[in-house]
Amino acid sequence: MDLFLQRIFDGLFNGAIYASLAVAIVITFRTTGILNFAQGELAVFSAYIALLLLNPGARTLRGSGLVADYIPGTPWPVPLAIAGAVAAGAAAGALVERVVIRPLARASDLSIVNVTIGLLILVNAVVVEIWGVRGYLLDSPFPTGADDYVPVGGARLRLETIGVWATLLVVLTVLAIVLRHTRLGLAFRAATTNPESAELCGIPLSRTRLAGWIIAGALGALSATLVAHSVVLDPFMMIRLLIFSFAAATIGGLDSPGGAVVGGMIIGLTQSLVPGYVPGIGTEVSLVPAVAAMLLVLLIRPAGLFGTRRVSRV
Amino acid sequence: MEVRRISPTVAWLAILAVVAVATTFAAAVVDPITLRSNGRIVVLVLAVLGIVLATGQTGLVSLGHGAFVGTGAFAMAVLADDVDVPILLAIPLAGGIAAVFGGLVGLPALRLRGIQLALVTLGVAVVFPVIARQYPKLTGGVTGRTVDATVEPPGWMPAPFDEPGSFRFLVCVAVCLVGFWLTYNLMTSRVGRAMRAIRDNDIAAAAYGVDRTTTKVGAFAFSAGLAGVAGALQVMLFPFASHDQFTVFLSLRIYAAAVVGGVASIFGAVVGVAALVVVPAVNEALDLLESETAVFGLALVVLTFVAPGGLVELGARLWRRLRREPPAGTVSSPGDGSESERPERVLRPTASARRLRGDR
Repeated sequence: MDLFLQRIFDGLFNGAIYASLAVAIVITFRTTGILNFAQGELAVFSAYIALLLLNPGARTLRGSGLVADYIPGTPWPVPLAIAGAVAAGAAAGALVERVVIRPLARASDLSIVNVTIGLLILVNAVVVEIWGVRGYLLDSPFPTGADDYVPVGGARLRLETIGVWATLLVVLTVLAIVLRHTRLGLAFRAATTNPESAELCGIPLSRTRLAGWIIAGALGALSATLVAHSVVLDPFMMIRLLIFSFAAATIGGLDSPGGAVVGGMIIGLTQSLVPGYVPGIGTEVSLVPAVAAMLLVLLIRPAGLFGTRRVSRV
Repeated sequence: MEVRRISPTVAWLAILAVVAVATTFAAAVVDPITLRSNGRIVVLVLAVLGIVLATGQTGLVSLGHGAFVGTGAFAMAVLADDVDVPILLAIPLAGGIAAVFGGLVGLPALRLRGIQLALVTLGVAVVFPVIARQYPKLTGGVTGRTVDATVEPPGWMPAPFDEPGSFRFLVCVAVCLVGFWLTYNLMTSRVGRAMRAIRDNDIAAAAYGVDRTTTKVGAFAFSAGLAGVAGALQVMLFPFASHDQFTVFLSLRIYAAAVVGGVASIFGAVVGVAALVVVPAVNEALDLLESETAVFGLALVVLTFVAPGGLVELGARLWRRLRREPPAGTVSSPGDGSESERPERVLRPTASARRLRGDR
């Protein structure tokens, strides 16, 4: 029983991380109608920014000298460094939207897929080029010592887990309120439902899309910095997470942020429970149930659990 | 200006002659180790050709061809060593196994919009090495496996192909040529037209009687089979296969090579693989970057703006400018990365409808 509870906690911890990246993917998809394959890599880049802000002047870390010389007050406390990374992620999202995505607004879907795949390869290669393939330890903003847990029914609910849950709960709630009850949220919905009519109604389409990419970039950076302590920060950290999050977004429906959260939890729980109770599937193969779950949903409900079904016409 | 068209048979014979001369030259001049290490990349041309067929012709984005290369490689290792199939027979068999795997992967996602296939194949590419590690009997597990079976040149082989290294290289070149010939014939057949009809407008294609699922799954399986043959050839050249050769980055590199070369024509595959050989060599000679991967990422982004048809389109444009021909609007439509071939003569509705139905 306590083992079961423990697996639930672990699953929900991972699920929260997947959910936040999945929401980033969904927001990009809703606002610009494209899947950003580079979402994870931009997030990795932001996580390295947090690492720099926490370790200025470290001899083995490229760029930390610059940080020590030009950014006052470093090393920053962990929450501030994460805020810095989130800002960097938002800036990266804005930059990509303005420089690469917007000029391609009229291009074919294939062109845009190619561009985001190109960015995935490019950003990953740049991160490898600058910081190498070795792993770094990024500090967590929450207590992570061996004794920092709350015993719940024999299982250990780590304070880090509670912290990550609380952070993402607050962020996603704020986001939900913004999407439902503000002018920006209304503009979002109008821009995705019918871009041309929205523009005729005076909704600044271009700025709405930019806002979508900024929010997505910030969310991606947040998820990367929160998860980096429990995995190791290296250039390939996010590509696995990206698969889990794509699976989460597909399960929830690519155009539903709420669905992405549910999908993330489903994937997280599948990942921690299936290897525990299904013989022959070790923890290392935990990717397999995630991909299988994605395939299953695609077969039964192609639009996802909460997605909008599309009717296509010639 | 009307360009005189060369008949396909003459073109194929010319290509065959050029490749034969080039292969003999390479085998005679280049040392065996360089020949082998470059050969391992050159055979990837089949995987890139698979992308050309799937993405360029049928409009299916696959980010998982590295996994199919790996399937072919491990199938080759198992068939040659554990089942004792002769290597030359194991090559097409390994391709067949990869094709079946490709069909199974594609089947659920192909019923849906294209982008979901990209997601699923990316998932497969990430999962593949992880799963490969779990079955050490087939794949050698963490350390990989060596392959003991080899192919030796028959006694009648003339120099320079009487050495094992150069003979294997010759086999690779021959198999690649066969792959190109099959793909070319597929593309110019009724099935090829059905594939392009699906790419351009799949609902209209269905209305004209194209069986969408069969055509898509078939094209994708064939494409995966080509990648599998590439993997089998890699194992024949260098008798070792390990999970860490077939990571997601191999898949991304194959996709990038296809798009950079030009996904709309089979020459794009040749150009793309040439880039896979040349760019690392230049990078190493000049000692620029730790890894040349960044070049492909950058090229993917820049070419989408400059020449969506890849280097092939760029070359064609330069050639036309050199000959001071007016830019032909038919060769590529800007912003659409799919077309750089001549408009087809069969596109009159009645004719195409008849051909899609299958009566001639």
